[in-house]
Amino acid sequence: MLDLFRKRRMWRPTAELKDNYDVVIIGGGSHGLATAYYLARDHGITDVCVLEKAYIGSGAAGRNTTILRSNYKTSEGARFYDASVKLYEGLGAELNYNLLFSQEGHLTLAHTDRAMFVMVERAEVNRLAGIDSRVIGPEEIEGLAPAMAMSRDAVHPVMGALYHPPGGIIRHDAVVWGLARGVDRGGAEIHPYREVTGVERSNGRATGVTLSDGTRVGAGMVVNATAGWSSTIASMAGVELPITTHILQAFVTEPLKPLLDVVIVSSQMHVYISQTDRGEFLIGAEIEPWTTYRQQGTLNFIQEASRHTLELFPQLERARILRSWAGLCDISPDFSPILGDTEVENFLISTGWGTYGFKAAPIVGKTIAERIGTGTTPDLIEPFALERFYRDRLVSELGAAAVSH
Amino acid sequence: MSERLPPNPRERINRARTINFSFDGKDVEAYDGDTIGSALHASGQKVLSRSFKYHRPRGLLCCAGQCPNCLVDVDGSPGVRACTEPVRAGIKVTHMNAKPSLDFDVMRATDLFGKPFTPPGFYYKTFIRPRRLWPLYEKVLRNAAGLGRLAKRQADREWRTEYRRRRADVLVVGGGVAGMAAALRAAELGADVVLMDDGPELGGAMLAGQDADSAKELAESIRAAGVEVLAPAAALGFFDGLVPAWQGNTLHQVRADRHIAATGSIEQPLIFDGNDLPGVMLCSGAERLASLYGVRPGETAVVATTTDRGLESALALQEAGIEVAGVVDARAGDGSEELLGALAAAGISVHRGTGVVKAFGRKHVRGVVVADLDDEGRPDPASKRGIDCDLVAVSGGTMPATSLLLQAGAKARWDEASGSYLPDGVPSDIRVAGAVAGHEPRNCAAKSGAVAGAEAALSLGLGSEEDRARLQADRASLLRETEGPAPAGQARTQDAGSRNGKCFACLCEDVTTKDIDYAIEEGFDSLELLKRYTTVTMGPCQGRMCQLASIRQMSEDTGASIEEVGLTTARPPWSTVPMGVLAGRPFEPAKRSAVHGRHRELGGNVMWAGDWRRAYDYGDVRAETMAVHEGAGLIDVSTLGKLVVSGPEAGAFLNLLYPNRFDNLKPGRIRYGVLGDDAGRITDDGTICRLDENSFYVTTTSSGADAVESWFSWWLAEWKLDVQLTDVSQGLSAFNLAGPRSREILSGLTELDCSNDSFAYLDGKRANVVGVPCLMLRIGFVGELGYELHCPGPLAEHLWDSLLEAGAAHEIRPFGLEPQRILRLQKMHILVGQDTDAESNPLEAAMPWIVKFEKEEDFIGRWALEAVAERGAENKLIGFTIENGTVPTEGAAVVVDGQPVGLVTSSRFSPKLERSIGMAWVPAALAEDGTTITVSDEGRQISAAVQTAPFYDPDQELLRG
Repeated sequence: MLDLFRKRRMWRPTAELKDNYDVVIIGGGSHGLATAYYLARDHGITDVCVLEKAYIGSGAAGRNTTILRSNYKTSEGARFYDASVKLYEGLGAELNYNLLFSQEGHLTLAHTDRAMFVMVERAEVNRLAGIDSRVIGPEEIEGLAPAMAMSRDAVHPVMGALYHPPGGIIRHDAVVWGLARGVDRGGAEIHPYREVTGVERSNGRATGVTLSDGTRVGAGMVVNATAGWSSTIASMAGVELPITTHILQAFVTEPLKPLLDVVIVSSQMHVYISQTDRGEFLIGAEIEPWTTYRQQGTLNFIQEASRHTLELFPQLERARILRSWAGLCDISPDFSPILGDTEVENFLISTGWGTYGFKAAPIVGKTIAERIGTGTTPDLIEPFALERFYRDRLVSELGAAAVSH
Repeated sequence: MSERLPPNPRERINRARTINFSFDGKDVEAYDGDTIGSALHASGQKVLSRSFKYHRPRGLLCCAGQCPNCLVDVDGSPGVRACTEPVRAGIKVTHMNAKPSLDFDVMRATDLFGKPFTPPGFYYKTFIRPRRLWPLYEKVLRNAAGLGRLAKRQADREWRTEYRRRRADVLVVGGGVAGMAAALRAAELGADVVLMDDGPELGGAMLAGQDADSAKELAESIRAAGVEVLAPAAALGFFDGLVPAWQGNTLHQVRADRHIAATGSIEQPLIFDGNDLPGVMLCSGAERLASLYGVRPGETAVVATTTDRGLESALALQEAGIEVAGVVDARAGDGSEELLGALAAAGISVHRGTGVVKAFGRKHVRGVVVADLDDEGRPDPASKRGIDCDLVAVSGGTMPATSLLLQAGAKARWDEASGSYLPDGVPSDIRVAGAVAGHEPRNCAAKSGAVAGAEAALSLGLGSEEDRARLQADRASLLRETEGPAPAGQARTQDAGSRNGKCFACLCEDVTTKDIDYAIEEGFDSLELLKRYTTVTMGPCQGRMCQLASIRQMSEDTGASIEEVGLTTARPPWSTVPMGVLAGRPFEPAKRSAVHGRHRELGGNVMWAGDWRRAYDYGDVRAETMAVHEGAGLIDVSTLGKLVVSGPEAGAFLNLLYPNRFDNLKPGRIRYGVLGDDAGRITDDGTICRLDENSFYVTTTSSGADAVESWFSWWLAEWKLDVQLTDVSQGLSAFNLAGPRSREILSGLTELDCSNDSFAYLDGKRANVVGVPCLMLRIGFVGELGYELHCPGPLAEHLWDSLLEAGAAHEIRPFGLEPQRILRLQKMHILVGQDTDAESNPLEAAMPWIVKFEKEEDFIGRWALEAVAERGAENKLIGFTIENGTVPTEGAAVVVDGQPVGLVTSSRFSPKLERSIGMAWVPAALAEDGTTITVSDEGRQISAAVQTAPFYDPDQELLRG
């Protein structure tokens, strides 16, 4: 509360870039900042520099639809995201910054018996991993989302849902700013408006990066946390990633009085819906099928997402759309992330985040920091190594991650 | 209607016709032609809304649908701009976001007492501990936020909306003088032109001024020239050449070869303490109210300005019958001599080098405090003086409405001379005309429009050499008029006044200049961060009223130039638009088979199955299942995808697509096929019958039909084989006649010899059945002797009826999807997508025999399957039985030591076998007959015995017999 009256800088003004750092993190989004934060917190590594080509949180961290959950389909995924949600739960207090984490619950709707089947599967995997997740029927759904239309005769009748009580929404920008402040106070440097255009190598090791203005920054370790651009950055280091970049779009309505506390997801209708604390309905869809770096939205998306939203919430037909946007998603072949080492030594990656990277920010930061700090890969991210694609050891989240948010 | 001015020739209202509506339950009388806002203002209701955060009273500001001040709810639609929404008889208008009433709002306390506690982002710094109380705080915050209120529940969509698509040569956005001139010229040159404008009447800024008549004439002439006019139709965005516009119940989607942006400019407010009080209006708003609706914006006005616009406005207001107590002009020296002279002649005092420091009054302006400004624009406290007034007409210059252009890929360039962001680097298919291009003076706007219209039309190959010459001349004269220094008084658009008290930079979000200072001091020192932290520009006005002010303040606070500060990204929609309009018609097509009516008549439980409506059963699953085993059953499988693949290389084509061989399939024979992707994962399955040397009949799953067709087409294009692909899914119906007595039934209906010798298992034959030409496939998905009959859809009903009629003596029953699922499970016939997922390959999905690595040619997924073969199967799809009849939920986990290692994909109780059967993915080590596996199903632990051979007729004797 006292902070209200203290007008204190969140972070120091940007420092002069040094010639060399122990760790250079490319990407000032939630993953890059979290990595820098945990490097200092857990391992005392503070000679760290976060390079961001625009303002902090300007990429996926500031464009996602702020949903957190851990009810994934594979036990590897569920365990990993569960650890992330748990970190998020304590992060606000730790950073002394209210992240507005609203754990009002997350509902993935099933409109067919086939979808019910997937829900049962996920619930069972989640339950065995100790995650609060279960299949519920229409009556319980109605209690949780009384504003939703539940007609049995609809094209997509709500037959049941996977209910995940700890899931919910968080204020994404607050996560970025809270982490950035934590990073700054921990001693690491954040350099916005610094674009990396090259990764230097010597004898199969990454040794530094070069910036668009020609500046060279040496590094003991380079971390690529650039989501949609991760394959571009990786190829600068000579690492080819099995990543395609697509856009994902979302829009908000003008603020409305509260109607919906839980997050509603319908994979079949390719839409997910939540209402922010400001009252805006926040609606997103699935990724667009074409690959692009151009963050240009489409009319078709707004039309389809509106139509599908209105099947669930017909009263929103008069609600006005205020703003729509697009962000980039780095899609991996199995819809699971790719984390940790690459064939280039000292070049670590955090990629393959598709539509679910923001959910994992703290655990990525913590595990990548651990990898750097201890030199060993934590068990939690071992299944997500890049190598799995060469050994056909996929961790398939298709169906639980692709559109499911 | 005491607040009406005497009639004037420009007014839009019909004083002879009154209309009544209600506002917050009170009856309000309006004239035909009024907007809700003008009628309310005229009735004395000056407060129209309460602000988002502090619940301060707000009244009309822009009178052009640009600002957030007049958002009301009309008959349940929230967020309606009262100032532009026409009055209709009987509508119920209510305020938003005030409790208990608009006049007395308890939440105003946050304004009066809460300000120190609510700096920008206050919620990030509070309610952190204890965490368990956060849900409670959050509830309070949530209830305080939000403006409009929607029905708690609504069963269905009630608003019928439509899409309309329109192709045009030229689309003009903006119906002011420049837009109209552009449309007229393009149409004269022969272009098919559409013009859209968000106002009800073309003419834009001219309508409220002296030139209203010429605007009306111009509007007449463009209609006469054949221009299609969409108005009021707000352009929503620019999507790679597609421009949607909302008009009433219609979403127009206009795609044109050339676009002309004539979107005009937006007058900017001024910043001073109390600049949000009702009674503070934009000059253009006050003029519009007086001129178009004959409503007195106030009795006594003070005009505060930074440009000549304010000087013009003071004259216009006085002419309209409003006393002007003075003009407060921030400029010490600039200003049109002509206008200053006119003001002097009219007896209006002009305070030059002066700014408004404060507007005072409780719920409405009662007066202003003005002060002299120093060179930097700071007020001199010693010079403060008050002027009584009930209207403060402000003009802080204009901002070109570049949003659509920016969405189209143009850049915004800061133009120091005009003090505004002008479009730059505009894509070549777009022309810019009028105020948005910086071509402000009206005569110049018309020429600017004509040039743009001619350029657009000529670039499409229309017009003559003469027209080209005229364009050259027009261009040259336009250049002369717009070149050189900006006319005096058009230049600076600085803030005038003070930053003490509550000066609102952003009205939508209640962001004050102090809030912006605070945020910048905290380190949110780039415009995008500032926007996200303070939410400035993120409200319903989309930055129209606040973007420039926030840029300017950031520039002042940080020392960065305005150019360095830059603009935030322009995002669609440019005007807010209801979701119902974008959604279009609530239209979900259903696919129904040719005999759908029969399923209804037979009591079928019809449900959605993908895009189809299908019978799940006919009321008795058990009896239907047993009928197939004991007599005969008939199921409609018209939903199957059906492709004819023909041509000399058809066999080679299929060989490349499928892991098994098809080139060696004999005509008249059938083979099962599994489709996979590059990674060897199963994507679909079906049967393939070779019709003759050059053609194959391929069936796919029901839900995969479209995907398979695209997959085949894709590869056909890639491989360039001599193959034709014909999708006959919709044209043909198909029924599966199955059961031990199906042969007898069929024999009675066709002349074909149906004996086992002549029509064997996996034979495909063409013959007439009850006169209906059929392709008959002897296959056994359900595990009994059976024939799949494919016939033309129009004849299907006759065939269906005849089969049931003839089968009556053999105890035939129609059976639905559910019995079919039991029957196929007994045979361990997989359902793709049910028993397989995106990770399943045929080697592990109990079908290693189907992969023919010995094939010479490559096939899709070969590499991946070879890799799997090399490493050996890790998981396997197996069958299981449960003796005590428990049926685990499909999707339940198979566990080892409490950890999930696999899952149940299918499970049913088999009435024939009288036990519970199922299929599951398990680790390869467990995939041995007789192994016991443990299934965890919502906490229950169930033991099951592994079985790898089909549960029913494992040796296929029944199928072959």
